[in-house]
Amino acid sequence: MNPLDTTFEAAPAPSPEELPDSTDQAAPRLTPARLRVLSLLAFVGLWWLLAHSGKIPPLFLPGPEAVLAKLGVLATVGFMDATLWQHLGASLARILLGLALAVLIGIPLGVLMGRVDVARALLDPLVEAWRPVPPLAYLPLIVIWFGIGELSKVILITLQILAAVLIATAHGVRHVSPERLRAAESLGASRRQLLWHVVLPEALPDIVTGIRIGLGTGWSTLVAAELVAATRGLGFMVQSAAQFLATDVVVLGILVIALVAFALELGLRALQQHLAPWALHKN
Amino acid sequence: MATLATEHVSVSYPGQRLAALADVSLTIGADDLAVAIGPSGCGKTTLLNLLAGFIRPNRGRVLFDGQPVTAPGADRAVVFQHGALLPWLNVRDNVAFGLRLQGVERAARRARADEVLELVDLPQAAGRAIWQLSGGQKQRVGIARALASPSRVLLMDEPFGALDAFTREQMQELLLKVWAQSRRSVFLITHDIDEALFLATRLYLMSPGPGRIVEEVQPGFSQRYRAGESARAIKSDPRFIALREHLLDTLFRLRRQEEAA
Repeated sequence: MNPLDTTFEAAPAPSPEELPDSTDQAAPRLTPARLRVLSLLAFVGLWWLLAHSGKIPPLFLPGPEAVLAKLGVLATVGFMDATLWQHLGASLARILLGLALAVLIGIPLGVLMGRVDVARALLDPLVEAWRPVPPLAYLPLIVIWFGIGELSKVILITLQILAAVLIATAHGVRHVSPERLRAAESLGASRRQLLWHVVLPEALPDIVTGIRIGLGTGWSTLVAAELVAATRGLGFMVQSAAQFLATDVVVLGILVIALVAFALELGLRALQQHLAPWALHKN
Repeated sequence: MATLATEHVSVSYPGQRLAALADVSLTIGADDLAVAIGPSGCGKTTLLNLLAGFIRPNRGRVLFDGQPVTAPGADRAVVFQHGALLPWLNVRDNVAFGLRLQGVERAARRARADEVLELVDLPQAAGRAIWQLSGGQKQRVGIARALASPSRVLLMDEPFGALDAFTREQMQELLLKVWAQSRRSVFLITHDIDEALFLATRLYLMSPGPGRIVEEVQPGFSQRYRAGESARAIKSDPRFIALREHLLDTLFRLRRQEEAA
């Protein structure tokens, strides 16, 4: 694009490998990426050493290879009448349903709170009072009202994600640039057009951040709820395995739970970059 | 003929002792490039907001072609100091934004956007993202967006205030070219006295406490630029310098009087 760029490319700078190095030639360079891998490898190595030291029985700490072997069994035969995939599917279905409901309710309500002073004044104290309460504190009430079936778990997750989406949307909508709104008005935008063409696009990065936070806390809440009352799901799998002292299943379940949380976070970050690349460049 | 006028308008903000604007009357004709200049607090931004319809006067009227102005409208496009562009749209779609709001179909509004980008000397940037532009380029896009819409008046809120001196001179010349070719009237506010003198067909000198017009001048330098004289020759003309010193002198005299009172 810029003609200057090509002239710089024509004469490439020496790459780091070609530069003289004052440190030991044999030592591999410790880039942050390599340090990350190293940290994970060290963790697994320490785990393996502890498990095979002979001091800790496998009942308390199965080795990494034993857990990996269990993965094969869980994936095919399963545990407590369901394979690992069915447990995983049950948990994912609950959180995705909760997410869908939270987004459907949270975004319109958040826009209302962000745009209408009366709505904000009415809703703000309720949201602020309810948001810091740990969801497991009101799970028993939800169970009394809706039973121990799917419904109460989905309601719990929905409430949890809803809080984050609602607050983030209201914040994003309130902080839309007044200059942009005026510019659009002076180009003839109606109230409806302002909402669709200025307010929502500008609030979008905030809304996605709200969903990210909501999914993160929602996932931990869900797993905790499944520990309490469920017949399928990752939390239930870990809990019932613990009752049978199947420690390898417990460890594997924890790893899968962590991996799913990590994947959700990475996926949403990618989505945020795809939907609002401009938000990375503050101007 | 489009004329935008205020008749004896006054604006006061709650909690402020002095009026932001007191009894201001002015008329911006169809061929005018009117410039309001004055120190901060003189009410020039309030005046622009009134003309745009963002605020309403406490007393007096704002008239556009004889009709009272009560709200912002597509006939009066505003250009902001920092552009107020929409970063989720590329340059072309920003320029076409006003037409999109009017329901103009995609191909037609894109063609119009490309035409206007040509006029502001930015045709190569149509597909670029807003964050890839320099400050001067952003202002060109802001001006192009206002020109692409069916507006008849451009209201410019310190449009070159955030630019470096060199880019600012280029933009002033660009504005004169665009103003001549697009046949729109322009109302511009600035705190740069050279800019005001160079651009204005009508110059309103404003003073704070309360905000008011203290002098109206018709400098005539922009007509000389259009007749082919160079910008530097005009700005170093003894008449230009004498007029600048006269305006500055007026402002300082008023400030001394105000401080004495």
